[in-house]
Amino acid sequence: MRGGKATETMTGADAIEGLAADWLARRDAAAWSTADATALDAWLAQDTAHRVAFLRLQAAWAQAGRLSALGAGRANGDGPPPRQQDAGLAANAETDLQALVFAPRAPRRRPRAGAFALVATLGACALAGGWAWRNFGAIEAASHATTLGAVQAVPLADGSQATLASDSRIDVRLSRRERHIDLERGEAFFEAAKDPARPFVVEAGERRVVAVGTRFSVRRDGADLRVVVTEGTVRLESDPVDGRSHPAALLPAGSIAIARPDGVLVRSLPLQEAAQLVDWRSGLLFFRDTTLAEAATEFNRYNARKIVIGDAAVGDLRIGGSFRWANAEGFVRLLEQGFPVKAEYGRDRIVLHTP
Amino acid sequence: MPAPLDDWFADEILVHEEALLHFLARAWPQRDEVHDLRQEIYVRVYEAAGKALPMQPKAFLFATARHLLTDRIRRGKVVSIEPVGDFERLLVLVDDVSPERWCGGRQVLKRLSDAFDRLPDRCREVVWLRRVEHLSQREVAARLGISEKTVEKHIAKGMRLLAGHFYGGGSGVSAMDGEAQDGRAAADARRQGD
Repeated sequence: MRGGKATETMTGADAIEGLAADWLARRDAAAWSTADATALDAWLAQDTAHRVAFLRLQAAWAQAGRLSALGAGRANGDGPPPRQQDAGLAANAETDLQALVFAPRAPRRRPRAGAFALVATLGACALAGGWAWRNFGAIEAASHATTLGAVQAVPLADGSQATLASDSRIDVRLSRRERHIDLERGEAFFEAAKDPARPFVVEAGERRVVAVGTRFSVRRDGADLRVVVTEGTVRLESDPVDGRSHPAALLPAGSIAIARPDGVLVRSLPLQEAAQLVDWRSGLLFFRDTTLAEAATEFNRYNARKIVIGDAAVGDLRIGGSFRWANAEGFVRLLEQGFPVKAEYGRDRIVLHTP
Repeated sequence: MPAPLDDWFADEILVHEEALLHFLARAWPQRDEVHDLRQEIYVRVYEAAGKALPMQPKAFLFATARHLLTDRIRRGKVVSIEPVGDFERLLVLVDDVSPERWCGGRQVLKRLSDAFDRLPDRCREVVWLRRVEHLSQREVAARLGISEKTVEKHIAKGMRLLAGHFYGGGSGVSAMDGEAQDGRAAADARRQGD
């Protein structure tokens, strides 16, 4: 049934294995789309040789999950255990798999000396490893993300706290020299713990917001960046554009900075008003003389059921007040009562237009 | 493709890879063809099992191997004819010598940790962080200060080496000098030469 094709695949076993490994490694990465899955299925269906090579590597990789047995008793973050030549191997071989995988290490009766040696070795390695990380490398690296409509507070290892708005994502890297946060998308509010030796840096595209100990929020809106400072001072830095460097902007508490590709606009507000801009943390959106179009955009950041502006006249209406972002419909019903607005309620959107 | 068949293939066939490779090494003079033979045997077993699962997987695997070698000799792809008569005897020998299913928990772990320890340093570290500490590839990259692409390459390489050592007991490791890219290029060149 395979006929002449067999000779062709026969020559390429190692090459096919390489391709299968590439597929598995790619699928194991974050950016795996349905299009990728379809392409993989097609590749697998193309030749049984592809499928068996894939299965073999997949099975070995699945088995590798059991390696955690070797790490029993080790804290996360220590990296792999030392290669087992003597003590470690003997002790592990004597220990029951079940105990290794599911229970914390308990010294077994027989190989007592071996077990102590192992514990001592692991302990020493953990200490040495911890020392090395603290001095030379990252001590915490993590990603946090929220889905649409969710707000989540994330405590960081240095005592700081990040609060993620709807549909946002940050990558955190805390090292000895710097606390580095990548704002991948959306908005986050930070309460940076004071630590003069380690600046707290939030990076968003080609801009950086640097704080020492302060409260502020950073939000990405396409190419625009908005920074709101509610306590202390932060420094807004930008990468040079076309060889020209932008001066860094110092933002005291009460500042709102809007950074666009062509420049940075800073506005000073009374502290209380600045704080209202980050009220989303407690479930509120705050508007003051805001166009309905802008307000709708704010609501849509949090809700799958979008508020759609049906005509320009409606979008230009100016509103104020504070509203629960989770209750877009309540907001619209209120509009209908007090403003010249007519709403059509659909399943995934609410369209507003002039009556 | 049905998952039960895939599981069966891993549990009942792949676990005999080391024995299969020993058999091939003794029965076939061309060492560099062993991995291609292994692949072709796996293909035949998998396709046959898709129609009906063999009752005795290991016996079926070796019978398939014998048939393949016989086919290849008939097609005149082989210079030396010597090993032919030995198939039966070799098979019996392999059956006796090969370890009884090493699927018991302890042996699996031992085999796995041996395979893991034979990975190159960086690769070993990446596999550990991804597979045991469950960091994402991106987090592994951040932790080790290398690019995500490099992490992906280490994982691809780690999978191949782990499979080679875990199932094949070392002789199952495929040639992958340099990057997988080179292997692909070489295979393409060979294909065009045919």
